[in-house]
Amino acid sequence: MFDLQGVTNDTRIRLCLDCGKCTVVCPVARYDPDFNPRLIVQETLRQNGRGPADERIWSCINCSMCVERCNYNVKFTDFIRYLRYEALAEGIEIKYSHGGVPQAIMHMMAHKEIKQNRLSWLPEDINISKQSDTAFFVGCAPYFDVLFNELGVKTAEGSKGALRLLNYAQIPFTLLANERCCGRDLLLMGDAEGFLALAQANMQEFSRRGIKNIITNCPECYYTLKVDYPRFVENWDIKVAHMTEVVVPLIENSQLILGGLKRKVTYHDSCTLGRYSRIFDQPRRILASMDGLEIVEMADNREKALCCGASPWVHCGVVNKQIQRERLDQAGATGADILVTVCPKCQIHLKCAQETAEKNDVCQIEIQDIFQMAAQSLLSQEES
Amino acid sequence: MTDKLYPEILVFACNWAGWSCVEAATNLGLHYPASVKIVKVNCLSRIHMGLILKAFDFGAEGVMLLGCEQGSCHFDTPGEYIINEYRKAQDILEMLGVWKDRLVLTQLPAFDGRQFVGQIAKLMEEIKRIPSSKRSKIIGPRPVQDIEVYI
Repeated sequence: MFDLQGVTNDTRIRLCLDCGKCTVVCPVARYDPDFNPRLIVQETLRQNGRGPADERIWSCINCSMCVERCNYNVKFTDFIRYLRYEALAEGIEIKYSHGGVPQAIMHMMAHKEIKQNRLSWLPEDINISKQSDTAFFVGCAPYFDVLFNELGVKTAEGSKGALRLLNYAQIPFTLLANERCCGRDLLLMGDAEGFLALAQANMQEFSRRGIKNIITNCPECYYTLKVDYPRFVENWDIKVAHMTEVVVPLIENSQLILGGLKRKVTYHDSCTLGRYSRIFDQPRRILASMDGLEIVEMADNREKALCCGASPWVHCGVVNKQIQRERLDQAGATGADILVTVCPKCQIHLKCAQETAEKNDVCQIEIQDIFQMAAQSLLSQEES
Repeated sequence: MTDKLYPEILVFACNWAGWSCVEAATNLGLHYPASVKIVKVNCLSRIHMGLILKAFDFGAEGVMLLGCEQGSCHFDTPGEYIINEYRKAQDILEMLGVWKDRLVLTQLPAFDGRQFVGQIAKLMEEIKRIPSSKRSKIIGPRPVQDIEVYI
């Protein structure tokens, strides 16, 4: 269980000055007057650590914009996790989005005896070296593609593109047939037991296969494996790298030369890769290395980038849709043809906003994964 | 669950043709194991993938979706809805390595008790054919971990 003293120390919540800058920059508070990070903190402190157990704590989308703005680095996103954990322990009911399917899948994956059959999406042209101690962590992209197939998202294409780039640069890697979800969504929604079960199952799989390095293309998996796992899992000594961190040195050493693409694109910073992991430049450098590709920035970019509007598959509603619409409108205003993203979840959420709204109501810009695009440029280069 | 005689099956039956089949089976005095639990819903299009997966998550060994025949829905909902959810759930189960034949969609005419019992027996046979290593319940009661949790 949490102790309040530990939580207040770790999240620096007592340093809150009640200034309200978090609430000014919060995208949820802009559309939902009931949600107010400042008041949640103050209320909890006044009631000696008993936070509001109502719907407000589930509205936070963990975009970390408040932490970015806070002068005293009060970690509100960590604090809301604590409130959620407490609320779940009290048996509060949550409104699950998508019928609770993502959570059900994660809970099923947490079971020790499960033997997944998750590599069916893998195309034959990708070479895997089974003995390698570098693993490519695919994440839940294959599950997302089935779950959201009516939205027409193809998140596994991003993973395929990343694998093709690794093949092209002749970096050996292996895939884990029984890798679990990283558990970030369970951690964010306060289900710490579920997260720990997944983390331990993953750790067992890594040590069974003797994995020393992990490369992943999903920002959520990257942050969880890099920052959260060492805190929870004993004897964690695996190096974790994001695919962009792997690709950029290759491009700079001319080991990987991407092809050309005559399009105008805009890059959407994922919260987890940007504000959480501080990777802003690498994806832009990858895009800049493609011939003929014009990059335009949205009004809110880098540290100030607007979130894709949803978090761990709970409480998705009209506020989230409005944030997504605002982001898509920003993308449309740049005049770009393609919105490039690196996160499968951003892709799903933005696509969902496009599909569920009226056609002319929201900007119908094409959404693509950065690695899918890079692999395509390689392919067109080979053909020409 | 190899020590049990019959696998535990959860049936989602629609209130109309589906439920009438269950009632007809009772009226005809047909027997089916008590391990079959039936949840009555107003229409099968009420059932989504989350509920199906949750049934497996909570320990069902088989799930049957029992509803009206194609085109004869009481509420005129298009039958594609449940078929779509059923296919998606099967794909997810297949990926999770849970043996997708544990989930069946049975669309029967009204008051067909015999066929309902027949289908239940068929599903049970199917589950018994599954290798025992794959037949274990997905989730048992989870051990409470006494680990200090840091957010």
